[in-house]
Amino acid sequence: MANRRLLVKRLKAVRNIRKITRTMELIATSRFKKALDRATEAAEYTRKISEIVGDLGQANLKFSHPLLERRVEEKRSVLLVLTANRGLCGGYNASVLRQTVAHLRMLREKGVDVSLEVSGKRGIKFLNFQKIAMAQSYTHFEDKTSFADVEVLASRYVDDYVAGRIDRLDVAYTRFVSSSKQFAVVEPILPISSLAGMDKQPSSGLEYEFLPSAEQILAEIVPAAFRAKLFKCFLDSIVSEQIARMVAMKGATENADEMAGSLKQQYNRARQAGITSELAEIIGGAAALG
Amino acid sequence: MADLRLVLVTPEKTLFDRPVASIKVPLFDGSAGFYPGRAPLVGRLGMGELRLVSPSGETESYFIDGGFVQVKGPVVSVLTNASVPCADISRKAAAGKLEEVRSERAGSDDDYKGVARRLEKARKMLALAAKE
Repeated sequence: MANRRLLVKRLKAVRNIRKITRTMELIATSRFKKALDRATEAAEYTRKISEIVGDLGQANLKFSHPLLERRVEEKRSVLLVLTANRGLCGGYNASVLRQTVAHLRMLREKGVDVSLEVSGKRGIKFLNFQKIAMAQSYTHFEDKTSFADVEVLASRYVDDYVAGRIDRLDVAYTRFVSSSKQFAVVEPILPISSLAGMDKQPSSGLEYEFLPSAEQILAEIVPAAFRAKLFKCFLDSIVSEQIARMVAMKGATENADEMAGSLKQQYNRARQAGITSELAEIIGGAAALG
Repeated sequence: MADLRLVLVTPEKTLFDRPVASIKVPLFDGSAGFYPGRAPLVGRLGMGELRLVSPSGETESYFIDGGFVQVKGPVVSVLTNASVPCADISRKAAAGKLEEVRSERAGSDDDYKGVARRLEKARKMLALAAKE
């Protein structure tokens, strides 16, 4: 029966797909664990930086730095979009891009000249399709994005901001809150609104010696804090990508299971119907002869 | 004897957190050494060699690339962009890198800063390279 053979074929295809999605789920799980470890390890640096900023607080220092100053008029800005290089991760890329497009429209309405920088093939493809011009695109930020790679970007932004070539920098990425909660956001990261630990009272009560001076350390630590923050955006989006893929693939595997079950049932019914009708034919034939 | 701990942190991870006998770090304008009982200090680091003497008396060297040092009680925290054990830097690779940086030409003042920094880094790395 043609119908039966068709069902067998479909069943095989669904089972194959299930194998693939199941494997992808497992891969995403292991990558997620690695990415999460990296993100946790990186948090230590940020913590130390804010500790030093807290220490600087006791030096009766006025926190002023070019990166902390908000420009009165925002004319040129950069929007950095972090998407994945690969798809099959649910709404991960779509939600970042939705935020991006909305933000872009908002800024352009205000008359701000936005230059768009996009990381990830998915984002590049989408924006090309939408015919939105990009100033820069990157595809080399993958799972194992190193600080050195991000630092190149960060240093360029710092130089541009200090020199007045840009007045603001936003990053559209997926923020990781916990393994069950991540969401796409557009976050302004330049000017730095506040340094972590800036308004904290020095708890240690220690008298520090500053080499060369508190001001000079501040001048160095603000860019360092910015770099660490940008790096965190990248790490967050990597972790979130793996979670999104894990969840999407888990759903796909379950769906494939369900489909395989119902196909199997259909197949069995078709087979049984075949047997019944053959039997009926034999019995009918025997009755006609007798 | 009082204790001294060295915590070496890069933006990617904490490289180590362990007891040491003494530490020498490259500051922005020279170098500074810490023994147990050092008064609290926050300092800016330069590029160069971080040398530590472990409690058993062995010396280890690392190349570090700028950052900050904080001394707080018995804990010395070193925050740096990158750190490589000197034993892992090969002289040949470092010399090659220096040649490469030397051939770079700066087109503007901004470029010059970057090139000068890379040149200094390559020179320091070559000076510290311990592997053939």
